[in-house]
Amino acid sequence: MAADIVTAKVTGRVPPSPEAEAKLTEIISEKYGAPVKLVFERDSSVVAGFRLTVGDDIYDWSLERHLSDIKEKLSRSAAAENAGGHVSAEGLIPLMHEAIEDWTPRIVSETIGRVVTVGDGIATVSGLSDAEYGEILLFDGGVRGLAEELDEDKIGCILFGGDENIKSGSRVYRTGKTAGIPVGEGFIGRVIDPLGTPLDGKGAIAADDYMPTEAPAPGIIDRTPVSTPLETGLLVIDSMFPIGRGQRELIIGDRRTGKTTIATDTIINQKGKDVICIYVAIGQKASSVAKIADTLASHGAMEYTTVVLASASDSVPIQYIAPYAGCTLGEYFMKRGRDVLIVYDDLSKHAVAYRTMSLLLGRFPGREAYPGDVFYLHSRLLERAAKLSPELGGGSMTALPIVETLSGDVSAYIPTNTISITDGQIYLESNLFHSGQRPAVNVSLSVSRVGGDAQTPAMRSASKSLRLLLEQYGETEVFTRFSSDLDETTRRSIMYGELLTAFMRQPKNSPMSAEHQIIVLVAALSHAADGVPASRAPEFALGLCAYFDEKLPSVSRELAEKKTLSDELREKIVTAATEYALEFIGSEN
Amino acid sequence: MEQENKVRGTIIKISGSVVDVRFPTDNMPSIYEELRVLVKGKEASMEVLRHIGGGVVRCIMMTGSEGLYRGAEVTATGAGISVPVGKCTLGRMFDVTGRPIDGKGELPEGTKRLPIHRPAPSYEEQVTSSDILETGIKVIDLCEPYPRGGKIGLFGGAGVGKTVLIQELIHNVGTQHGSYSLFAGVGERSREGNELWGEMKRRGVADMTAMVFGQMNETPGVRMRVALSGLSMAEYFRDEEHRDVLLFIDNIYRFVQAGSEVSALLGRMPSAVGYQPTLASEMGELQERITSTKNGSVTSVQAVYVPADDITDPAPATTFAHLDAMTVLSRKIAGEGIYPAVDSLESTSQLLEPDIVGDEHYRVAQRVEEILQKYRELQDIIVILGVGELSDEDKLVVHRARRIQRFLSQPFFVATKFSGIDGVYVKLEDTVKGFAAIVDGEADGYPEEAFYNVGTIDDVVKKAKSIKV
Repeated sequence: MAADIVTAKVTGRVPPSPEAEAKLTEIISEKYGAPVKLVFERDSSVVAGFRLTVGDDIYDWSLERHLSDIKEKLSRSAAAENAGGHVSAEGLIPLMHEAIEDWTPRIVSETIGRVVTVGDGIATVSGLSDAEYGEILLFDGGVRGLAEELDEDKIGCILFGGDENIKSGSRVYRTGKTAGIPVGEGFIGRVIDPLGTPLDGKGAIAADDYMPTEAPAPGIIDRTPVSTPLETGLLVIDSMFPIGRGQRELIIGDRRTGKTTIATDTIINQKGKDVICIYVAIGQKASSVAKIADTLASHGAMEYTTVVLASASDSVPIQYIAPYAGCTLGEYFMKRGRDVLIVYDDLSKHAVAYRTMSLLLGRFPGREAYPGDVFYLHSRLLERAAKLSPELGGGSMTALPIVETLSGDVSAYIPTNTISITDGQIYLESNLFHSGQRPAVNVSLSVSRVGGDAQTPAMRSASKSLRLLLEQYGETEVFTRFSSDLDETTRRSIMYGELLTAFMRQPKNSPMSAEHQIIVLVAALSHAADGVPASRAPEFALGLCAYFDEKLPSVSRELAEKKTLSDELREKIVTAATEYALEFIGSEN
Repeated sequence: MEQENKVRGTIIKISGSVVDVRFPTDNMPSIYEELRVLVKGKEASMEVLRHIGGGVVRCIMMTGSEGLYRGAEVTATGAGISVPVGKCTLGRMFDVTGRPIDGKGELPEGTKRLPIHRPAPSYEEQVTSSDILETGIKVIDLCEPYPRGGKIGLFGGAGVGKTVLIQELIHNVGTQHGSYSLFAGVGERSREGNELWGEMKRRGVADMTAMVFGQMNETPGVRMRVALSGLSMAEYFRDEEHRDVLLFIDNIYRFVQAGSEVSALLGRMPSAVGYQPTLASEMGELQERITSTKNGSVTSVQAVYVPADDITDPAPATTFAHLDAMTVLSRKIAGEGIYPAVDSLESTSQLLEPDIVGDEHYRVAQRVEEILQKYRELQDIIVILGVGELSDEDKLVVHRARRIQRFLSQPFFVATKFSGIDGVYVKLEDTVKGFAAIVDGEADGYPEEAFYNVGTIDDVVKKAKSIKV
């Protein structure tokens, strides 16, 4: 064993002096416990000093190394304190200072890898025998990659940047870091990419911490049942499919059925409710996301919202990592006892990105050509949304994942997977959407499994039997479509159902407070508004709320304070609503 | 000393949850052996799944692979993954490797352990009994009696009361029969685990129950093995303590799913709909262990999820063959406020035969089904024309059917905190007697509401009186 001779390669512009050579031989043989043979190789790119290579290890005394040290330091602090790419003059001077003080030649031991193949955002790398699974690797030119597949003699690596500057044979370094993003208060109100770089041109973001994107979900005893409502401001959802803080509620439907609108409306409604919102866009048009950010900003919602953007033109690995990055940012706040709302828009595109990546990495396709672990892809993401126990600060993360179906097929693979992960789903239907019923929520197919516990007693009491009535209306409507002569009771119950359905309509970006929702529900369900034509129901609802705000502000106040609906209060609402209904119908004629 | 004897290998390949480890060719760990590796300073387990030649074994990780590297040292433990067994597991919560996860500290030193892979009882040990396991739940005892030591599939959509029904079964069978229960949470939501844990503690049934969890946030290796961990704990009570054990598995589909996630990474060709080629044998190995022997019985209630709403999907289709009884929960019945929301027409049991349950029970159960079936057919007509248009005979069917439907509901012990009504346990004979009274027309005189959420027919009479007053 000890007889093996270690070959060390010295690279430099000039060969080392005999004294230096002796010194080197001594150091190396001591370190490796074997006789050393030094080989010199001329390399004019090494400006001064030299570089020593022993096996995979490199000892660098070259000027080039010092230059790259400075470069790395610059870019590192740029990433940490600004991530925007430019360092302020104040930041630069101490940095240069530090770099110059550190300017003492030192031995850097590092392993180096070489790119074997590259293309399609995937690179295989040889060497780096001790790289960890899930570690970030740094390629020449600054592109980062994630070690996804460790094979006996190569590493399969997904690239978080363009692959055009990476060539077969270019160098790869370890970073010792797992994939993660910088997190902190400074990210609120910003638009960032999944690596934490700001995209909105508003300058640097000061990070408080750096957290790995893959983290275990809170365990069973770390949780506590959902108990506080997360109000969406949408009557149809808050009344029948209430969402609690810490719940995962899927929004599912065909394209253009208003899925994103429900999510953005919910974000807008969190104003003043001390909820931090994160909107993760995966594989979307950058322009649509810009529009969403504009809408949020114009409603003052960007003040508490972060947008994480992985657009359709971003590389597949960036799209793949986006929801985990958003989730990590959310976790940072959740673990500090805050309430967080996170929207993943949408997970079908995320699954497609993962499928692309898996197939390129050479994994077998399963159902619909998705890899076998596509369920785990989403389950481990969505399980990280939780309501934490009081011992852990009691923070929460509510997730609203969005999934797109094709021509209403909820029984496809990705939709059923996500349905079985989440705590309920809001199912949107394009028929309803096109007939003007917006939000186009299908009442019988939507469900919320835990939010009921989180509803306020007032809302629960006000919305009682609404869902049953609407479902029955849906059923009878089908039966009666074929018959012309209906008895009076059936006819009336159908008209009533039609009116109730119309009350569920709500224009976008106009959330309704819980108190207003209760007033409208009580009025509608007590038959106080029966004379109102269905087509004017939304208008009536708006008018009614304004009427109450003006004439009976005490009602809203009492509802907001006590969160219960006493019989007297209900009576009061019914009386006033009946009056207003007469006035409203009268005004038409 | 002991350290010296341990066989060591090194990791040579990592692909997701599947890891290849090279060992000396003359000293390789056997299949199903547990290996240990340090991941970022924490010890993690993996299990050998196959030998792929050249001294290399292919293993499945029981934790995430992040932080593993090639060249990392792996130690063979010389044994398979094992879990603690016995009385000290009651009232506790474990993970797949038998580590307590309830924050109540470690188990006492020297606790007996059993490996999670064990052979199924032999042909000779099997007992064929067609004993009925009385559950005290009317709809189950009457329409789909559970066989003691049999396997019951619980098919239900989400939010129809699957968890409540499971909890009630744990409560009833535990308190009335002195049985121990074992709950294995396989690949379901951690939130549900949290709620179940809290509920069991509140109800005081936790002391009769051991729980094992490997939920959907865990790696496929965990979800694939956690059902076996639970099973070994249950088998100990059966084989060593000669107990009748109840085993609850929620959800057996996730076991199959985890197997299919790993299958491709192991390099197996995918079979129908992308499932593992070994689907049927994996399911068989698990299910055949859930059986009653001369020592004691294991009665299992398994929740089954139907993927992509496709009942012909290989996973549920493979499960069917192993079940003795099926309870189907329906969203429509839950919507009518009738709990448990069991669809008695869809649910079946092999025990519902006159020579097993007795002629009277059989007759009443058949009659109940006939009336409900007839009522279902009439419903469409009623929606359009109203009850008034029906013949007198049909009116009587509707009259009785509505009473039967309500009488099938029952207040649950575990639901007391929601309903404010105390739970009831109804003896089988009382159940049969009650329904006999309805189908034979003896109870026609009582108002419908009197039948809702009560126990026996005597309770109906009492409630009817209180309504009249």
